[in-house]
Amino acid sequence: MTGQQQSPALSVEGLTKDYPGVRAVDDVSFAIESSTVHCLVGENGAGKSTLVKMLTGALQPTTGSMTVRGSSYEPSNTKDARAGGIATLFQELHVVDELTVLENLTLGMEQSRFGFLVKSDLDERVVQTLAAIEPSIDPSARVASLSVAQKQIIEIARAASSGANVIIMDEPTAALSEREVERLFGVIRRLRETDVTVIYISHKLDEIFRLGDAVTVLRDGKHIATKPLSEVAGRSELIEMMIGRSVFQDYTPRTTVTDDAVLIAKGLTNTLLKDVSFDINRGEIVGFYGLVGAGKTEIARALFGADTVSGSILFKGQEVGRSPKEAIAAGIALVPEERRTQGLFTSLTIRENIPVMNLQRLSNRGVFRSSVELEAAVEYVGKLNIATNSIDKYAEKLSGGNQQKVVLAKCLFADADLLLLDEPTRGVDVGAKAEIYDIIRSVADEGNSVAVFSSELEEVLGICDRIFLLFDGSLEAEVINGADVDAAYILNVVTGGREGVLQ
Amino acid sequence: MMSQSSTLDQPSATRDNRITQFLRSYYIYFVLVAVVVLLSMANLDKFDLFERGNFLNHRNIINVLRVSAPLLTLAGAFTLLMVSGYIDLSVGSTMGLSAVVYAMLAINGVPFLAAFALTMVVGAGLGAINGLLVVRLKITPVIATLITLSLFKGVALLLVQDGVSAIKSGGGLKIPSWFNSYGREGTLLGLPMAFWVAVVVTLVLVIAQNRTLLGKYAAATGGNPTAAKLSGINTGKIVMLLYVIVGVSAALAGIARSSFMSLGDPLSGDGMELSAILVVLIGGTAFSGGEGRVLRSFIGALIIMALTVGMLTIIPAYYQTLVLGAALLAAAASNHLISRKETAL
Repeated sequence: MTGQQQSPALSVEGLTKDYPGVRAVDDVSFAIESSTVHCLVGENGAGKSTLVKMLTGALQPTTGSMTVRGSSYEPSNTKDARAGGIATLFQELHVVDELTVLENLTLGMEQSRFGFLVKSDLDERVVQTLAAIEPSIDPSARVASLSVAQKQIIEIARAASSGANVIIMDEPTAALSEREVERLFGVIRRLRETDVTVIYISHKLDEIFRLGDAVTVLRDGKHIATKPLSEVAGRSELIEMMIGRSVFQDYTPRTTVTDDAVLIAKGLTNTLLKDVSFDINRGEIVGFYGLVGAGKTEIARALFGADTVSGSILFKGQEVGRSPKEAIAAGIALVPEERRTQGLFTSLTIRENIPVMNLQRLSNRGVFRSSVELEAAVEYVGKLNIATNSIDKYAEKLSGGNQQKVVLAKCLFADADLLLLDEPTRGVDVGAKAEIYDIIRSVADEGNSVAVFSSELEEVLGICDRIFLLFDGSLEAEVINGADVDAAYILNVVTGGREGVLQ
Repeated sequence: MMSQSSTLDQPSATRDNRITQFLRSYYIYFVLVAVVVLLSMANLDKFDLFERGNFLNHRNIINVLRVSAPLLTLAGAFTLLMVSGYIDLSVGSTMGLSAVVYAMLAINGVPFLAAFALTMVVGAGLGAINGLLVVRLKITPVIATLITLSLFKGVALLLVQDGVSAIKSGGGLKIPSWFNSYGREGTLLGLPMAFWVAVVVTLVLVIAQNRTLLGKYAAATGGNPTAAKLSGINTGKIVMLLYVIVGVSAALAGIARSSFMSLGDPLSGDGMELSAILVVLIGGTAFSGGEGRVLRSFIGALIIMALTVGMLTIIPAYYQTLVLGAALLAAAASNHLISRKETAL
């Protein structure tokens, strides 16, 4: 690398971001050398995304400073960030399908005279940039005909040809196949040769060792280390830095767990899932733990019949998994990941939301019985401690935690025997989190089963009796929760350490 | 620019995809030929409107092109607006109001060019009102232009005196003789000015679509608004400009029709929004935006007009609206089938 004499591509000094009651990023200082691939790792909630948002101008730091190539850098929006030479590869793609590759690459940067497009060296320059990082893409092809991976490369080429010195990539491989990942890595390496610095965020530790020059570890918002990857002694050291303390755990073995398998799934397979088999017992809380894209949501949706998979799902001896209607009738309820768009009718009131999964209970031979609705609303608002001054409050006006409780109430009202909870505490504050955990435990104590699909280790270790570890669509291992549970082992498995052996 | 044809050679394009692409680009011309051939085979002997014998007859063709002028004028601008993901349901009312204004100017002694220019300014203003409602007040395009459909028509009706249905000669005032010639009398190849204006407008918009920022930004705005904004494109300005262009085109269409009919009829544009949507859909423009060609809509307009005029002679009047509706359904369905095929890849 040539970066020894040069000032760093980017450095942060004492960077802190406070939210009400939480310090998301706490006095973080480190520097990123020019023309390197710099990896950023940390568990969920370690502060990575908050840090990135400050780098891209989406958030402003509470205190601290940032420096780009030796000069002070204070972006107040993404436009400022681009002017400062920092581009972000968003997870959702921002390309125009209807235009050609070349038209996409020059979008917004065209040369024109009196509104007429004129030929310029820009076209040639972007074509060269694209050819340098990925020669197989035809600049005159319509973007609609490209794969997701190719579209991603178009965006990278766009950032590079617009003069970005630093490109931030947040989990860029989440939606890519193995071959596409290899190609993306080729692109990133060639970018590095053209003096572009890449900040690479990923949970997949293999990728970090294969690609990175240096790594910065964050934990609980604090900066733990920044060092060249050549000085990191393998996965185990990285994992140790990420976990640090022994994981806080308040799990106490539950007594109502039975050996009576209520759900048996065999050989679930689709585009992502690879021959996943497991069973869930009556009264048990099981966890499905894995990174984003490991297949958690896919399993939940398969059990609920929302997606088609091959394989068989037996629930109480009866075949399910063909449609959500069938699942609900059999006693399975899903609390989806996107609660605002998939779980809740935000423009309806609490009272109207609770019975929607089981409207038959409100009907007396087709006539609506508002008294039952009222009773149910009052009952569940009290039981789940939903903080509201009225049951007629619109769901969109509630906090994240209370919205989630309404979604839970919906499932409870439907008399579900198996609750599937996809990321049940995402975007929920600490207090409501504890309450939701209590609700989950009491539901299971009553003899129902609960499956928690989560990417937070603390969450699954806190409430689940048994944890299935997922990586890349396959079920890698099963862990019985207890005092002797090995967090480092779990993290190793879900980040791609097969066979679960720590080096 | 890279050569256009190399699109077909790229490795990821499957054979299926290429066929789809070909159909998408050229099917409209086949449809036009098919319609003309079908109409030519029909027996027109019984009808007065046409020469005996063949549909492909000099006078019949001129007739069709002459009455097509308003729709042909409007098709291009309407296409660009729909490419950007927006719509204007008020075009018929803009036409009607423009027709009334134009006739009032003419009947009060304003010379041709001045009346022509002033009416275009009115059209631009009406388009700007639509643009403001949609861009500034952020009213959904369908709702906003439904409101102005009603408002513009209301104004047009007020401008016409009580007891008369349209601005026409009478009460000491007389529609001047030049008024009629613009839309009716042949100037070049036996076709009136109004038709040639439609051709020029279309040519200008074809160039605008292929060679200017406006064309590219319209496609970007309709294709992926977020991407467009992130690329620093002022999408609001683009949409505003397109509404103004549609307004001007609708005014020109209004002039053409009032000239053809020799009167300023406030209702002369009624139903035009449906015809325009039909034409644009037949031309293969995606209802969701991003995709569409000005020239193909122009051809689509010719198809619709040939069908309409042809049907006058073949099919009893009661069936015509039904047949047009069926054509719209077929266009929408084939549009959907083609685009679904592409996304399935």
